[in-house]
Amino acid sequence: MRSHERTARRYAKALWDVAREAGATEAIGRELEQVAAVCAGDAAAHDVLTRPWIKPADRRGVAMAIAQKVGAGKLVQDFLGLVAERGRADHLPEIVGAYRALVDAELGRARAQVRSAVALTDGEKRELSGKLEHALGKRIILEEQVDATLLGGFIAQVGSLIFDGSLDGQLARMRQRLARG
Amino acid sequence: MIRVLAIAALLLGVVPAAALASEGGGGLINLDRSIVIQGINFLLLLLILGKLLYKPLLAKMEERTQAIRKSLEEAQAARAEAQREREEHAAKLQAAYAEAQAIRATALKEAAEEQRRLVEGARAEAGRLVESARNEMAQEVTRARQALRQEVVDLAISAAERLIRKSLRDEDHRRIVQDAIGRVDKVN
Repeated sequence: MRSHERTARRYAKALWDVAREAGATEAIGRELEQVAAVCAGDAAAHDVLTRPWIKPADRRGVAMAIAQKVGAGKLVQDFLGLVAERGRADHLPEIVGAYRALVDAELGRARAQVRSAVALTDGEKRELSGKLEHALGKRIILEEQVDATLLGGFIAQVGSLIFDGSLDGQLARMRQRLARG
Repeated sequence: MIRVLAIAALLLGVVPAAALASEGGGGLINLDRSIVIQGINFLLLLLILGKLLYKPLLAKMEERTQAIRKSLEEAQAARAEAQREREEHAAKLQAAYAEAQAIRATALKEAAEEQRRLVEGARAEAGRLVESARNEMAQEVTRARQALRQEVVDLAISAAERLIRKSLRDEDHRRIVQDAIGRVDKVN
């Protein structure tokens, strides 16, 4: 898994370098995310791109066609073709993540994955983003996910930092305190 | 010796003859030349007998005497040797007895020491076992208490979770989220 991520980072870094020269890192990132979402959602396309016995040139052609169909630019088409040709199409989700991290680092921002028991209101999202930005000194992009297993509140994770503002966390801490006596 | 015997024989032959002759002749022995011849015969016989019989007899007697003396001396020596050996054996026996006594005493002492050591070891082991059992029991009690406490806590928290899940309304969720957002400042 670690080597998987290392490989994905290498590909993402290469794409990011080219995109930065073109001054379109964010746009390229969006295109890449769209293409990756299509590949992940289409089982047939995924199979073609990841089967090793399909000729690399065919894989490249299919990948470029998908990217073109999604409306991606030439750079993303070529990149996806290269990834498919090299048999790394199964690395796409990790490549997208690594690319996103590079763009975030470039723009001085961070992504906060927020799991909440109920959907946060816009005001709550703004307030939470503001607080996290103030605490971390970075622009924050919230990626919210409603998790019905949570009792209440939310859990926010930014990189390795985890803020647990859920009732589950409070109950877990209470359980530990009571168990320790 | 021979000389003594010759004189004695001469006296035995001459004295009676002389006695008879002095009493007036005509007896058994006449003091004439025949008596001299008889005396000479007698002396020759005595000499021959002394040479052929008496000397070997004396030599044999002497030899027997020497043999008997030697046997006696040998017997005495043997007796002395036997006595010495008996004494030696007695001394050896005494030494062996003393050594056996010493070995026995040492063995008894060692056995007593071993017994004492075993008893002490057994006592120490028993003490350790008791202490170990006591510690184990204490740990068991602690574990049981902890398990019981954990179980009670789990039950209480589960009950609390169920109650909270049932009773939470939207405004409660909003308030909890607001509280949590308020605490984000304390992250650093």
